[in-house]
Amino acid sequence: MKKFIAATLVLALVFALAACDTPATGGDAGDAGSKLTVWCWDPAFNLFAMEEAAKVYKQINPGFELDIVEIGWDDLQTNLITIAMSGQLQALPDIFLVQNNAFQKNVMNYPELFADLTDFSVPYHQFGPSVVAYSTIGGRNFGVPFDNGAAVAAYRLDILEEAGYTLEDFTDITWDTYIEQAKDILAKTGKPLLSGGAGDMDLICILLQSMGASFFDADGNPDIVGNEYISLAFDVYVQLVSNGLMVEVNSWDEYIGTFNNGIVAGVINGCWILGSVQQADDQFGLWGITNLPKFSNVSGATHYSANGGSSWAVASSSSNVDLAVDFLTQTFGGSIEFYENILFAAGALANWLPAGESDVYNEPQPFFRDVPIYALITEFAGLIPSNYTGVYYYEARDAIGNAIVLVLAGADKDEALKDAEDTLRFWMMQ
Amino acid sequence: MNLYKRRNLTGWAFLLPAALMICWMSFWPMAQSFMLSFQTGTGARMRYAEPLNLNYGRIFNDRVFIQALQNNFYYLLIQVPIMLILALILATMLNNKNLKFRGLFRTAIFLPCATSLVSYSMIFRTLFAFNGFINTALVRVGILDAPYNFLTNAPSARIVIIIALIWRWTGYNMVFYLAGLQNIDGNVYEAAKIDGAGPVRLFTRITVPLLRPIILLTVIMSTNGTLQLFDESFNLTSGGPANGTITMSHYLYNVSFVHSANFGYASAISFVIMSMVAVLALIQMKVGDKR
Amino acid sequence: MSHAAKRRIGTAFRYTFLSAVSLLSIFPLYWMAVASTNRTVDILRGTLIPGTEFLNNLRFLLEGQNITGAMRNSFVNAASTTLAALVICSLAGYGFEVYHTKNNDRMKIVLLTAMMIPFATTMIPLFRMFAQMGLLNATLAVILPSISTPFLIMLFRQSTRSFPHDIIEAARLDGLNEISIFFRMFIPTMRPTYAAAMTITFMGAWNNFLWPRVIIMNNEMMTMPMLVANLTAGYVTNYGVLMLAVLLSTIPTVIVFFLLQKSFAEGITGAVKG
Repeated sequence: MKKFIAATLVLALVFALAACDTPATGGDAGDAGSKLTVWCWDPAFNLFAMEEAAKVYKQINPGFELDIVEIGWDDLQTNLITIAMSGQLQALPDIFLVQNNAFQKNVMNYPELFADLTDFSVPYHQFGPSVVAYSTIGGRNFGVPFDNGAAVAAYRLDILEEAGYTLEDFTDITWDTYIEQAKDILAKTGKPLLSGGAGDMDLICILLQSMGASFFDADGNPDIVGNEYISLAFDVYVQLVSNGLMVEVNSWDEYIGTFNNGIVAGVINGCWILGSVQQADDQFGLWGITNLPKFSNVSGATHYSANGGSSWAVASSSSNVDLAVDFLTQTFGGSIEFYENILFAAGALANWLPAGESDVYNEPQPFFRDVPIYALITEFAGLIPSNYTGVYYYEARDAIGNAIVLVLAGADKDEALKDAEDTLRFWMMQ
Repeated sequence: MNLYKRRNLTGWAFLLPAALMICWMSFWPMAQSFMLSFQTGTGARMRYAEPLNLNYGRIFNDRVFIQALQNNFYYLLIQVPIMLILALILATMLNNKNLKFRGLFRTAIFLPCATSLVSYSMIFRTLFAFNGFINTALVRVGILDAPYNFLTNAPSARIVIIIALIWRWTGYNMVFYLAGLQNIDGNVYEAAKIDGAGPVRLFTRITVPLLRPIILLTVIMSTNGTLQLFDESFNLTSGGPANGTITMSHYLYNVSFVHSANFGYASAISFVIMSMVAVLALIQMKVGDKR
Repeated sequence: MSHAAKRRIGTAFRYTFLSAVSLLSIFPLYWMAVASTNRTVDILRGTLIPGTEFLNNLRFLLEGQNITGAMRNSFVNAASTTLAALVICSLAGYGFEVYHTKNNDRMKIVLLTAMMIPFATTMIPLFRMFAQMGLLNATLAVILPSISTPFLIMLFRQSTRSFPHDIIEAARLDGLNEISIFFRMFIPTMRPTYAAAMTITFMGAWNNFLWPRVIIMNNEMMTMPMLVANLTAGYVTNYGVLMLAVLLSTIPTVIVFFLLQKSFAEGITGAVKG
């Protein structure tokens, strides 16, 4: 028994020492010189791009060092809030990645976290206007756009052909035509054209942005009841689901499964979804991509939209703001070489328009029947209407996501939207 | 110093490390959140609300919170009794010295709570999917005419959550019962058997009364756990359809980290949850903690 | 029906029931193991047959993530939390029951409220506190908030109820002081409870996610749950790799349980006499 106690005490001591021994450094923001710390997620995409950017920047600034901490967006958001609420700004890294949809919210709620980049030499005019808009608040710029969330419509060409259609029949079309043809394809092949999460707002948001519409008016007040755009988007969504043209699933993995397993014959989402599409190598050469259907008779309606995407922010607490901005400007906002490096290895597309002219963007992609899809998507990206996200974007998504579920279950559309607006207004009350 | 006083002081000394740690790591932050629950604003710009009870006043006008509250109590009332009775039965069965493969059975039944949420929520969703195993089986047996979308309909989605909770936590509670059963003198059983008591009688007349302190503990813990339920709502159903399965803690998380963070309101919700758990625990202790 | 036949049916029922429950419980682990040997497409097609991708998934995981570091960090965190929690909470639980007075009975209820508040609420003040102490990214900051839990104190307090108090009196008469009674009499007798508490605390600390994720902001201190979360954060999730990581992070808890289950289920009641 004595041995047991002795062993316990020794162990306790060892652990206590191990615990105290750990260097208690905060975020590395205070480290002057030429080392920067970055927070971002997705090793195959953002982390890879950052590493490549560091390589390119080292040619200009040989002493440059980059420390990248991997952290998912949800967790990064939690950390930003925790740091802001507790006033411990020194815990921030020098640079962090922010989802485009959440950028305005974070800057408006926690302006003290963000360095104002307006007066630095970031070439904003060389980026698509809609991506710059995400990180622009009150005419000031707070982010360097990176990830391209341009929406694409991808189709299984073999299934289209089985029903007597080609990709051209789905290019530059309206939603009415889309629904007509989708019904025909379902009847002939038994395959729905789309899938999506039940109550998931991705598709609705894509539809709204394609018309340049938002859940809010220009002053940031809820604009749901009587919003013609939302009403139209709902109608399309309900038609898709109730006619069996869109399969509703309950999670992301099931969603990926619907096209990887050939249950559905098409996908509409941000272009990053193509990474998951290409996982099914038995569907090699069977896919084609084109622009989205558009709403007919709506002013401002386009074939282009976006979902997701993200931009780099620089922490105001960084002791190296100049270096951080220069690094981002010289790479993400100024290096064709950099964008060429990340295109094939990560499928990361440029928002920086000069990169789109590079030859590598025009190389044919065998998975997509030798079509140079990257040039195509870059072209789409320049045509996306901007939309207002604001502080309460996620609340609005939440409220309207519930409304669509209720409408599909048989509730009256106008009443559901009225309830959604009430809920949203309730959440906006401080 | 008399003996009584010295005993009393020793008692406090035993409590001291734990009490200090709880004060430092729980009560101090709780006090700060309590102050926060009267404030409103974001980031460094928190200010006291006008009127002071603004956040608390909001709560019961909040439709989503009311829905979440109902969901939580639905889970609590149905899931906790089933789970604890099942855990007790399993523990009694596994306590049998003549049972073969006891170690394997015990480990297997404990496994679910060690299994990562990521994989188990994926499996549950797959099983209950429209084309999933459960639908296929029910249609084949003839219980259903056509596949039913369990997770997109609120009543059935809630039942899936309850099944998932029972699956995950029964083995966990069994562990405490197994440990508790060790402290029951085997002779008590032998004596009862000689008196002609059957297994059911042994269970209700000896096992349950003697395990009462531990049963009380698991009831309090499960009540607390269910009212603070987060994982299943978040991972299995994302709170949907239309908040039909969302829990209070999940809503709290949304208010804190998904929506434009409203920590004053979130803190107020927390203290409401705490009061509810505390009242229930107090009732349970009054009923179950007789000496 | 004869007594023997009845018993045989009872036995058959017992084994069938336990086997069925065990199979249901093991299935997800089996699924996870199978998934870790397959590619994403096959997993999403619902395969239940082991595939050939295990080595590829393992290579991908080892190259892409610091899995050994994360395992080590998780282990250090979980082991130190468990050890400290067991000592501190069993002292308190014992104190509550053995030196039972009206006052500390009331205090028990007060202590219990500490577990009734959702953690998301106390997280921000805690973060501020640790940041001001300069303990961001420190093991100490990870473990301190979870070493004194009302639940464990209650578990030990409730279990102490069945601890024969006459042993304490006898030991006092033998001249043992209070602290040695605790270490020499209480701990050995209550080994089943300690084993159960150890299993549960280890598991809780091993799987703890929200707090470590907030307080740890570098790659060196990353834990397994953080690593798993990162694997699902990208645009494209490789489910084979994800399931392999999940499997690896499940195994330690299962081992701890398996090693300890004998001591909490086949307790050593004899130790009291020895």
